[in-house]
Amino acid sequence: MDKIVITAASRVTEASVPKARLGARFGRMDLASQLALLAVESLGIDFDGRPRDRIGICLGAWAGSLSADLEFWGGRDAAGGPSPILFTYTLPSAAIGEIAIRHRLTGANLCLVGKDTVLAEASDLLRRAEVEACLCVWCNVVTPALAEMIQAPPSAHASALFLQRGGEGLRELQENDRDIETLCAAFCAQNSTS
Amino acid sequence: MDILLSELKTGIIETLRLEDISPDQIDDDAPLFGTGLGLDSIDALELVVMLEQYYGIVIKDIEESRPAFKSVRALAAFVQAKRTS
Repeated sequence: MDKIVITAASRVTEASVPKARLGARFGRMDLASQLALLAVESLGIDFDGRPRDRIGICLGAWAGSLSADLEFWGGRDAAGGPSPILFTYTLPSAAIGEIAIRHRLTGANLCLVGKDTVLAEASDLLRRAEVEACLCVWCNVVTPALAEMIQAPPSAHASALFLQRGGEGLRELQENDRDIETLCAAFCAQNSTS
Repeated sequence: MDILLSELKTGIIETLRLEDISPDQIDDDAPLFGTGLGLDSIDALELVVMLEQYYGIVIKDIEESRPAFKSVRALAAFVQAKRTS
């Protein structure tokens, strides 16, 4: 089978969100979707000329949609009830929908909550030839309110990789590449020093 | 009426977190949904919540109130009518 190649990597933090200009609807998204979308945008992939039905999306979210869930729950006593828009983000896979809509991607997709197994799942999709390329996104959003509740450190960042079957890129994906965050951080550090 | 129109436009932008759009860019008579502002069904629900939060207007039957969501001017007329009834 073809080798799997990493063609682009990115990492974004909450600080990038206010500066982002990704359309009028970007502001209504929850932080996890904004970060995931920004991370994909930062990859700089030109999807034109690629078969959009053969590009997959693998999203991993350590805390799932718990931050949005908690915010939604917090609005339950407000006049009129909690925000209906926020309700749409109380699904961990919401960011996949936002990415797919923006880039008109219709390939297989997968949402994983908890432990980071994004690279293993994306590799599997590629090895089984279900997709020709795959966006891998890792999103870690723990708002201060959630951090207090689950006794975890607050966090708001996302990392993304673009994997494809064959071709040229940054380097080949190795068997022991397990952690998307570490990989993205290494590539981004290389870029900033080169 | 002008004050209410302006207030509603600001409310719509803030509530729906619309970016890169100012109240004066929203036409009083432009459709809120589909064309015009391009809002969707989830936005409609959010506007229902906004009316309750801002004006204490409770909409129980969204179908019955559908004409009120045609444009900002229609929404202002609806709010004004509810206030005086």
